[in-house]
Amino acid sequence: MLWFTQLSLRLRALFQRQALDGQLNREMEFHLAEQKEEFLGQGMSAAEAEAAARRLFGPVASLREQCRDERRTRWLEDLLQDAQFAGRSFAKSPGFTMVAVLTLALGMGANTAFLSAAYGILFRPLPFPQPERLIDLDDGIAGVGPVMALRAMARAVDYAGYYPDSELNVQLGGESSKITATPVTANLLRVLQVFPARGRWFTKSEENLGRHRYAVLSDRSWRNRFRADPAVLGRTVSLNEEPYEIVGIMPAGFAFPSSNTELWIPIHADARNLGYMWGDADLWPIGRLRQGMTLAGAQAELRPVIDRIRPMFPWRMPDAWGSGAAAVPHSKQLVKDVQPKLFALTIASLLLLLIACGNVANLLLARAIRREREFAMREALGAHWSRLIRQLLTENLVLVLFGGAAGLAAAAAILKALPFLLPRDTPRLAEIAADTTLVLAALGSMLITVILFSVAPMILLLRQRESVAGRAVTSSKRTSRMSLALIGLELALATTLLIGAGLMGRTLWQLASVDAGVHATNLVTARVWAGPSRCGTAEHCWATLQEIDRTLLAETAVRRVNWADAAPLDQSLAAVAVDIEDHPKPPGAPAYVLWRTLATPGYFPTLGIRLRAGRLFTDADRRGTAPVIIISQATARRFWPNESAIGKHIRTLSELQWRTVVGVVADVAQYSLAGFPSWVDGVEYCSLAQGMPIDAGNIELTLFAESPQARVTWPVLLRQRFPDIAVTRIKSLGAIRTESVSDRRSTAWLLGLFAVLGLLLGVAGVYGVISHRAQQRTREMGIRLALGASAQQVVGMVLQESLLVSTLGAASGVVAAFGLSRFLSSLLFGVTAHDAITLTFCPLALLMAALLAAALPAQRAARTDPALTLREE
Amino acid sequence: MGKPADLIQGTLDLLILKTISAGPVHGWAIAKRIQQMSDEILQVQQGSLYPALHRLEQQGWIESEEKATESGRIAKFYSLTRSGKKQLAVELGQWNRLSNGIGLVLKRV
Repeated sequence: MLWFTQLSLRLRALFQRQALDGQLNREMEFHLAEQKEEFLGQGMSAAEAEAAARRLFGPVASLREQCRDERRTRWLEDLLQDAQFAGRSFAKSPGFTMVAVLTLALGMGANTAFLSAAYGILFRPLPFPQPERLIDLDDGIAGVGPVMALRAMARAVDYAGYYPDSELNVQLGGESSKITATPVTANLLRVLQVFPARGRWFTKSEENLGRHRYAVLSDRSWRNRFRADPAVLGRTVSLNEEPYEIVGIMPAGFAFPSSNTELWIPIHADARNLGYMWGDADLWPIGRLRQGMTLAGAQAELRPVIDRIRPMFPWRMPDAWGSGAAAVPHSKQLVKDVQPKLFALTIASLLLLLIACGNVANLLLARAIRREREFAMREALGAHWSRLIRQLLTENLVLVLFGGAAGLAAAAAILKALPFLLPRDTPRLAEIAADTTLVLAALGSMLITVILFSVAPMILLLRQRESVAGRAVTSSKRTSRMSLALIGLELALATTLLIGAGLMGRTLWQLASVDAGVHATNLVTARVWAGPSRCGTAEHCWATLQEIDRTLLAETAVRRVNWADAAPLDQSLAAVAVDIEDHPKPPGAPAYVLWRTLATPGYFPTLGIRLRAGRLFTDADRRGTAPVIIISQATARRFWPNESAIGKHIRTLSELQWRTVVGVVADVAQYSLAGFPSWVDGVEYCSLAQGMPIDAGNIELTLFAESPQARVTWPVLLRQRFPDIAVTRIKSLGAIRTESVSDRRSTAWLLGLFAVLGLLLGVAGVYGVISHRAQQRTREMGIRLALGASAQQVVGMVLQESLLVSTLGAASGVVAAFGLSRFLSSLLFGVTAHDAITLTFCPLALLMAALLAAALPAQRAARTDPALTLREE
Repeated sequence: MGKPADLIQGTLDLLILKTISAGPVHGWAIAKRIQQMSDEILQVQQGSLYPALHRLEQQGWIESEEKATESGRIAKFYSLTRSGKKQLAVELGQWNRLSNGIGLVLKRV
């Protein structure tokens, strides 16, 4: 408890200083009075007694100081005094203070926000017990059958399966709506080590049940959809028109696989179904290392297990299937795709902070020159140089604290906005929040800042001590050189930022100029889901679609209605393994994979996809007629380069029937503007009527409605007429295309913002320093002009300097960009990280901006009136 | 009058702690007591007592309270804290070892 006593004494010393001082005075006066009384008793006169008592006591004032020093709070008192002094002097120059604080707030705000976002997304431990033992399979196997087999065979890892992105239709209060619901295997919670807050989870025997099934709610959905009613347990909800009994509620904060997930249901897959091994390719495995097992152990058993799964398929899978599978930590796999982008943005925000620091350092340097005499005077009066440095640091600290506070506010605002700035599928986006991490990041960046911009004025101060105190001329020259170096550095950083933004800008431009192969206006798409009550059989389903068509054509302005299983560029995966005529596979070779789209006959003309050979689908290509297929031009060229593809045959691996190629159409970027994944060999189209993708009575399709009206009203009518059908994601084709590049777009915009801010700060720095220097040289310019120098020569002299500095800065910025642009390379499209155009134009733009900033002071210098300047001094 | 520096630093602390251990006393009484007990041999510059008192107080070994004396004046009375008592025992032990040691050396030389 001694430390507590001591602490409270120190605090008292700080906050009750006056009371303590009064006590000290009284104590000493009492002593003197008692002593005086004693001497009076010995017969001294009053004056003699007083003097004797004081003599015996010693020097009162100095002893009092000694007593105060014993409180050990002097350093803090000095600090507070310095801080007060700093506050006063900053208040006296509000312009300087505003600019410095705002600059710092900008730099630190951006840096803090991105540091804590990067930490939150990339490094913060996942909210599960022992998260480092959670395993994903990179480049691994997926699908119901394979994952179930993996779960049964693996010894080192307990594998569970889940659908990463699955939506079900929920019927609540008579209307159909979409809900993010994740079918999972029963052992998922054992793997994640999280348990329901109320009720229970499902058991293994409840996987693959019949019509009566079970569901577990997320905390958020329990609160939002059921008003946190505890009686919801045991209630039945209708999902995809089937009854599910709610048996449990998960704790708040449980967000797996994403924070949107509202509901978990046990997987439902029939092992007798032919599609069991191939179907539902979206079921992904996640595992937890069993007791005493390591990642290496998990990796070692993977190959033998996959070797045993391969022959379980109805047709043996090629040896390449699953051969690249690697067990990796779940935390790494989760953020694999966003990592480069977040690194790039965090580095960019750090560069911006450095530029801001450079500017404030220049401001402080200018201030230090103005105060040179003050410091020299104080040192002459006996202040120790360490005390002066301490004061300098304190002043900077005060500035940084203000800047930091403003920066923290800015960072909190940026963090709030970040979920809207970053693409929605960024993992762990919901977990980013202003919290202790943010404050720590802010403190970290404040520390960097204060050190960075204290260095220059400190060097100045120390150098100054070497020179004769009070002579300002020599050191101001030195400071100027320091300022020039600082703006050179700023410009270098700004160049790097510009190049980064330039590369992303070029990427966006290249993406925008990609011909997606789709040429349509006035086309709006929607996802339409129908359940067993409307889609019990293929005929029933087809009739439902026709009824929708008729309703839309008859009662709205819609002129054409078409259907497909997906819209181009909507980022859904739709690949099938196929056999191709004339291209027999050697045993063990991987199967050919074609991108498949199911479409109605009008799909091609509606989307403006041109026919190259053969014919399009007709209404005659329906159920029961000979199965037909249309392929893309590139596919035809790849497999039948020297002959017509028409009349050739293609067969899906899981089917027995061959389909005949009847047409070849122009290429369309079905997957992304950047092209298909490398494992896709081509594109095929099947007639929707010949292969309705019905899954247990459910169907989900994309509707393409073409209407001349700008206002889209038909979804409302559709919902009114067909309340049991869900109509969601109403978007134009253009919006889908825009969304498909949202990842790169957000990076480009953020980098662009950083670059613009960095450029502005850098240019402001150039302007400030050059005009300060020009001002210092006013007299010299006056003399030169008087001696016959032309105005151009004077302008040239001023510009020369800034040209040199910015050229050096831009050159080093290019070098730095060479090193840093590799963080961007995975985001680039159509340009390389060392794109010559960007590497030329960005530095040039910076040079132009810097010269423009210097031109103003140069002009002013040229207009110097020689007579006036010479008379002044 | 002897200079206070003649008293070894630690010794002054020991004397103060020992004097205070008898009960709450004020600064002047401590100065008087030390003077009387040492039969006027140890002459301390009275004022130098106070920095020492304040140091001991900041270390948490003694605590103080302002009270009226018999004569009605307000004085600051010091008393030992619990950790002060422990410290006194420690310092007494050290002093005894030191003085015994020196005594032994002086006897044998």
